[in-house]
Amino acid sequence: MAAAESPSAALRRRDLCSRGIRLAGKMRADVVDLLDAYVEQQGLDASASVAAVEGVPLAAVERWDEQTGTQRLLENLAAYRAFRALLAQMLEEQREQLGEADAGLGRALAAVLLQVSAFAYHLEELLRLESRGIPGEEGDEEEEDGPPPPPRLSLFEQKLRGLGVLRELAQWAVRSVRDLRQLAKPSPATGAAPGLAESP
Amino acid sequence: PRSVSPAADPAVISPQDPTLLIGSSLVATCTVSPDFPLRAEDLYWTLNGRRLPAASYAALGPSTLSVALARLNGSRQQSGDNLVCHSRDGGILAGSCLYVGLPPEKPVNITCWSKNMKDLTCKWAPGTEGETFLHTNYTLKYKRRWYGQDNTCQEYHTAGTYSCHIPKDLALFTPYEIWVEASNRLGVAVSDVVMLDILDVVTTDPPSDVHVSRVGDLEDQLSVRWSSPPALKDFLFQAKYQIQYRVEDSSEWKVRGHGGGTARGGRGRGRCHLLPRQVVDDVGNQTSCRLAGLRPGTVYFVQVRCNPFSIYGSKKAGIWSDWSNPTAASTPRSERVAGGCDPKGGEQNTTLRRELKQFFGWVKKHAYGCSNLGIKLYDQWRVWLQKSHKTRNQVGKEP
Repeated sequence: MAAAESPSAALRRRDLCSRGIRLAGKMRADVVDLLDAYVEQQGLDASASVAAVEGVPLAAVERWDEQTGTQRLLENLAAYRAFRALLAQMLEEQREQLGEADAGLGRALAAVLLQVSAFAYHLEELLRLESRGIPGEEGDEEEEDGPPPPPRLSLFEQKLRGLGVLRELAQWAVRSVRDLRQLAKPSPATGAAPGLAESP
Repeated sequence: PRSVSPAADPAVISPQDPTLLIGSSLVATCTVSPDFPLRAEDLYWTLNGRRLPAASYAALGPSTLSVALARLNGSRQQSGDNLVCHSRDGGILAGSCLYVGLPPEKPVNITCWSKNMKDLTCKWAPGTEGETFLHTNYTLKYKRRWYGQDNTCQEYHTAGTYSCHIPKDLALFTPYEIWVEASNRLGVAVSDVVMLDILDVVTTDPPSDVHVSRVGDLEDQLSVRWSSPPALKDFLFQAKYQIQYRVEDSSEWKVRGHGGGTARGGRGRGRCHLLPRQVVDDVGNQTSCRLAGLRPGTVYFVQVRCNPFSIYGSKKAGIWSDWSNPTAASTPRSERVAGGCDPKGGEQNTTLRRELKQFFGWVKKHAYGCSNLGIKLYDQWRVWLQKSHKTRNQVGKEP
């Protein structure tokens, strides 16, 4: 059984969780606005069914309530790191295709990318608090025979992928708020904050 | 977190992402992958979300459906029109972005200016009455006229959408050739070449420290003072200024100026007395001026701008700066007897002219030998007139 958390660590965790919840809430609002602008600029139907695209982390999860705190943090961190790379790619493609023609959308994309980066860092802080090692990012390790780069998508496929990225990011922001609220809850058994390894 | 590995593409559209002229026709085909149990009759097309009529389809094979698009209009969005092949249940099988538009026309109306004789900002117009419907890239290039390589401007949109700023590495006393290249998916167009010397297109920031104040109790006058822009004070130049003003509730600006006079460094002292409704191009290099013929008890907004010309002996006029931020002041209004009324604008001008005639007559009689007749005497007369309690209608009587 994990040792009970010190009061200062518990306070720090609750503080980080509160701030994380606010970050995620703001992020979701901005992503929703960005999604509206994106579908208009790309001429897409906002309700179009888009098949899941490789590399876009899905927010949907079964037995979410059974996850431990560590699992929540690790899954969130992996997701936002993936979104960081996907948004950076979207931004580059946007600039290649349209230059600075739609500076508004480019700026909005860049702003969301910044929020995603900040949220990922916030999650790393939470993991450090629990003396958990921060998992390395994919691509950090040198490999002699790394996986081949994915084939370049067609322009239409890029549009659909962007739609998928933003939709899932909006869903993840909702899930992250719930995850952090779970993490911030004190343990009902001891009255002290539970360790992350314990069941939620 | 889970993500889905890609399956084989269910279908392929040809052509993929074509670029077309407005008015073109296109036949596109959607071929379903052998891995998918779909036939041509299970497919349909949409363009920008709108279903295309089945009459435009043709089955070219068991799993290939074509669509014919005639006389295409310009793309609805610069990211391309979405031509999509669907399965019967609405699923997206494949898509292709159509770029339908026009080649660019050559950019026109290139104008450039330099703020500090070290940089250059240029702007231009796209040269197309309608739009091209395609993303069009503009590149401003420049080179010294008789030698030197082509250089490309890097800092765009500094003074509007179609503008670029060259911050450094420009030489004086040598002509430059400047042009703009427009390019999109359908072609390239190059503007005419503009030739200029940096010294001929110098402008400044607007005059600073613009102050507008009353002139004693004079109801129809305001004094305007300003500082010449500091950036050019180290250079030999002539500066001329222009003033514009309007009443608070009017959108019509009146422009005032006074010609003549030059001085080193653009500084000058002395005043100019301007008559109303007299439009002169500049107030010379003087940094103060008095507006007259104004309405009593009225708020006025005043702006000043500067034109530095003849810099280092250049023969051309410079470029007018922007107007300074409006500065407001009000003319005084003396106490009026209840039931009294003010003359209307037209009457005021007629009255003022009459006054001035009488003033000069008074000067001849009371200030002979005055080769230095100036505004001070007029001011003294105005003050004397008001103190003598004579109304405007009684000014015909001499003291």
